[in-house]
Amino acid sequence: MHVSNFVTLISLPLVLASHLRVSIPSSQQLQHPNTLPASTHATLTTLSNTYSAPLRSDITFDFRNVTSGSYLLDVHCHTHAFAPLRVDVHEITPDGVGFDGQEVQVWGTFRGNEWSNKGEVVQAQNEDGIWSFDVRAQAGKDYFIERTGFSPLSLLKNPMILIAGVSMLIVFGMPYIMDNMDPDLKAEFEERQKVQPNPAANPLQNFDAAAWLAGSTSKESKRTDVPSNAERGITR
Amino acid sequence: MRLPINLLALTLSILPSTLAVFADEAYSIDYHNELLGLPQPHTTFFHRPQSEEKATLLYTLSDLGVLGAVHPGTGKVVWRQLLDGEGYLRAVEGEGTVVSGTGKSVQAWDAMNGREQWGNSFAGVVKDVEVMETVAAGEGAKDILALFEEEGKAVLRRLKGASGDVKWEYHDPTEDLPLQVSTNVKDVFVVSLHGARGGYNIKVSTLDPLTGKKVNEYTLTAKADVHAPEDVLLVGANSAAPIIAWADKTIKNLKVNLLGKSGSLQTLPLKESDGDIVKVTIHAPELVQSLPHFLVHTHSAVSNRADVYHIDLASGNINKEYELPKLAGKGAVSTSSQDANVYFTRTTQDEVLIVSSASHGILGRWPVKVDKQHGSFVHGVAEVVKKGADSYAVRSAILTSEEDWVMVRNGAEAWTRVEGLSGAVAAEWAEIPESESLAKTLEAEAHSNPLSAYIHRCKRHINDLQYLPGYIQELPFRILSSVLSSDVTSHKPGALVRDNFGFNKLVIVATQRGRVYGLDSGSQGAVVWTLKAFDIPAGKQWDVKGIWVDSSTGVATIRGADGEYVLVQTLTGKVNEKMEPGNWPQVQSAAVVDSPSGPWILPIGLNGNPGDIPSEWAPKDNLVVQGKDGEVKGLKFAVQGSLAVPITAWTFQPATGQKIVNVISRPAHDPVASIGRVLPDRTVMYKYLSPNLVLVTAVSDSAATATFYLLDSVSGAVLYSTTHEGVDTTQPITSAISENWFVYSLWSDILPTTSGLPASKGYQIVVSELYESDVPNDRGPLGANVNSSSLEPSDVANAEPALPHVISQTYLVPESISHMSVTQTGQGITVRQLLCTLTSSDSIIGIPRTILNPSRPVGRDPTPAEAEEGLFRYQPVIEFDPKMILTHKREVIGVKDVIATPALLESTSLVFAYGIDVFGTRVAPSAAFDILGKSFNKMSLVATVAALGVGVAVLGPMVRKKQINGRWQTA
Repeated sequence: MHVSNFVTLISLPLVLASHLRVSIPSSQQLQHPNTLPASTHATLTTLSNTYSAPLRSDITFDFRNVTSGSYLLDVHCHTHAFAPLRVDVHEITPDGVGFDGQEVQVWGTFRGNEWSNKGEVVQAQNEDGIWSFDVRAQAGKDYFIERTGFSPLSLLKNPMILIAGVSMLIVFGMPYIMDNMDPDLKAEFEERQKVQPNPAANPLQNFDAAAWLAGSTSKESKRTDVPSNAERGITR
Repeated sequence: MRLPINLLALTLSILPSTLAVFADEAYSIDYHNELLGLPQPHTTFFHRPQSEEKATLLYTLSDLGVLGAVHPGTGKVVWRQLLDGEGYLRAVEGEGTVVSGTGKSVQAWDAMNGREQWGNSFAGVVKDVEVMETVAAGEGAKDILALFEEEGKAVLRRLKGASGDVKWEYHDPTEDLPLQVSTNVKDVFVVSLHGARGGYNIKVSTLDPLTGKKVNEYTLTAKADVHAPEDVLLVGANSAAPIIAWADKTIKNLKVNLLGKSGSLQTLPLKESDGDIVKVTIHAPELVQSLPHFLVHTHSAVSNRADVYHIDLASGNINKEYELPKLAGKGAVSTSSQDANVYFTRTTQDEVLIVSSASHGILGRWPVKVDKQHGSFVHGVAEVVKKGADSYAVRSAILTSEEDWVMVRNGAEAWTRVEGLSGAVAAEWAEIPESESLAKTLEAEAHSNPLSAYIHRCKRHINDLQYLPGYIQELPFRILSSVLSSDVTSHKPGALVRDNFGFNKLVIVATQRGRVYGLDSGSQGAVVWTLKAFDIPAGKQWDVKGIWVDSSTGVATIRGADGEYVLVQTLTGKVNEKMEPGNWPQVQSAAVVDSPSGPWILPIGLNGNPGDIPSEWAPKDNLVVQGKDGEVKGLKFAVQGSLAVPITAWTFQPATGQKIVNVISRPAHDPVASIGRVLPDRTVMYKYLSPNLVLVTAVSDSAATATFYLLDSVSGAVLYSTTHEGVDTTQPITSAISENWFVYSLWSDILPTTSGLPASKGYQIVVSELYESDVPNDRGPLGANVNSSSLEPSDVANAEPALPHVISQTYLVPESISHMSVTQTGQGITVRQLLCTLTSSDSIIGIPRTILNPSRPVGRDPTPAEAEEGLFRYQPVIEFDPKMILTHKREVIGVKDVIATPALLESTSLVFAYGIDVFGTRVAPSAAFDILGKSFNKMSLVATVAALGVGVAVLGPMVRKKQINGRWQTA
């Protein structure tokens, strides 16, 4: 832990100073805090006063001799992002009044908002003169973007390709199916082809626009549909 | 610039991807040297990070204050910590802990993963750290002794090995210079220097290790020999018999005292072999269980030899046991202990040999097969492993005279770390000089008469035919490799040639140790050449004021603060000309100026006085310098006969109480593609484009304010100024200026006086754009004038200068920015990126200008017209998206400066960062629009064409058959 401000350091024995311990609990975003890199460190910053503490073996940051003030706590880590905290260290008067006797108070804070806009209270406990509280990881850091390269699978998802594929299947597959068809079925099929004089030729040719607009279905199509269904039912 | 809205929406959706580092480009277009600095002899050792396992790591605390663990097999860094400066490092034997003492603090580190176990800091400065070998009852870890100098007095503290809390303190009442702390099993010794600089006696105080009370004290007379702390050669520590030794004034005898034995000052003669002895070093084991033997290594100018001494623990006598014969050249000796055995490893230019301290028999001998480019061996650490009854293996990490850290394993070079590259203080880009033979012949042909030129050309072409078979032979490989390789810019290693895209450039790097490196940016920053330009005395740094590369001649000029300069060929590293420090006047700064005789680097003396210059070398433009009291002065050169004399045109003094901390101007290469900015309503704001802009940063520590002044360097007029209150002046305040905009960043805090107002605590980045007028489509007071003068802005006498219209916006950023620079491209068409160095997260971020636009609509969503112009809603915070971080997963520590240079491609800018580490990459702030990058899959293109070809070949006959059948069948 190094302290950048020498003036406060020299005057340390005179000023009441707190010992803070910030720990990183295991969370959804960071299940194994043990995996954090050694370069992870935390800083406490206020006007002309900065403290920095490296990550310790027990996954805490240790700030010794923190003078009173309102600090911004940042955790700098290469693999995870952490939410900033507001840490207020008060000089406790002997009778302990004010600040509910709490020497150290911690809240969440929001960048870009006024400093008085405090977030959720983070509980700080005092154990043998060491004030400890938690700081939580927000999310893992993802430095790269994957280039969306060409993949045959994405091509297949394209509906145009699918339609083309199906029509290809029909064009090439149909004659083959016809050839391998049961002779009886084939004869029947050919007969039906004769009965229906090419219904798929162009349905728009004899499209009755007026009737369609009036909401009535074409009589002709009805008439052709019904017998064909009946026929099919009989044969099977 | 009217774009269909859907196209724009598409562009915006692409936008984030252009800012990011692609996964497939990372580690291939960028390069990074993870450096430590030069390992120091007393802070480098092998140590087992896990005491139950045999594997060791190599630990060092370098001259730059980097504590690092290096894998001895691969030479890769396992972990690093940047501490405050040089210091002391000890391993806790039998525990996975290393203890460092730097600056004011003592810290214990987990040797395996580099996390802190405990840290404690005190008022004084650490002078030495030592491990107590005896474990106190009931405590698991060994205690640490830390020697401090507090207000000129020695303070020794025993710190608990588990928590770092103080067990006891010992205050030396006298004002003696604390030198070192030593322990044997039963006593603690504090060695201090008594007297004044120039002649010291050595005082040894014996303390009780349990209470810290002084038991005994004695003084050794050494006034004639010890003039400085460096003159004391060794105070052995943690051995059964710690010694203190120093050489007499003429280096003829060595004086040795066993610590704790006040009467025994023994004189050991130093044997001269080849003339005078120039250097003496003593090597002794540092373990309590080791045999009390030590080795004295003496260097003469041309050879080196060594003597081994034994200490008789009972009588305290020191006897010479044997000697190692003289060998030519320089050599390194290192000690390693295994249980009680002590081995000395001697590495010279020709061979490595190991001997036991007990007898002179050579246990192992290997010829040295190390690249001669590394130079001679200076010092090292060795690890000797006894493999069988008679077979040994040794590996030693040795620092060489060329500042490489070489691992020599049984005589062979295992790996090399270019540690000399660390601690860079200045760097500059250089073009690879083109081979000019073809250009010259073409020019010659152009100037001769047509017929002879034609004959010459035919001859040349016939001559070129000899290369044709080789070319044809190579052709298939070239085609194949260009299809298969994904990197468009891959080039042959070793060949230093320009490429079509301008990615291959040289970087000239000068380090604080007086060394100059030439790096090739095209081949992952490989070292092309290196040279020792100047010998910088220990404890000092080479203060480089400027590097200027003359691309026409391919020569780099490096100027230092003491008037020294060196001219280096950028391609080969050969020194053309050199001036040693001290011969020329002191230099405050250096500036590249344009003169009638061409550009050159002008040294500016103290107090901002460049002195008289021959008139043909006089700068054409005005100079801005800083005077004696930090004031900013504008200088103009007036020709008087054959000399040009600098005349102060104007002086700028900030408000009282403020001191100027930074003065910057626009980069030398700062092209502007568009003179205006199109507003959403299709009107244009004209940019205030003055080449003479100077941004001055002035701070007031007492008032906690930072003021920024924008000056015109010709007239000295203040064009714009702004003051920020509640600024922490101890935090970095950085700025950058380019085109018609400038940015700066600072820590801003809430003020008690403005408590009613909403205020925020945090780092801010403030961006300001300058326009000619606040009215669109108006060119302001300058109007349509082709020329304008800063001195007489209008026809009216003594008129005020035309002030720019400034639009500013503030953004909060999550981290402190220690340095800013701006990307550069050839034409300036590509949107600029602001390159910010983030010290706290050891990275460099590229913030696009579109995010920093001060015209972003505040408090409302942008109108469609505004969105078309790339404006989006103002957010007070710029979160540093990890995807914007150019260094991505790499941890680049100690970055001092980032330099950028244009590539030949408009889209791309080359970036190089230096400091402790070295990092380089290419950035394309508006995406790589003029090059087929890795996203362009040549294989799939070829495969698609082939598939289409196959399809045509298959379907063609079928279709033909069907058509023929159709005709026949219908007929």
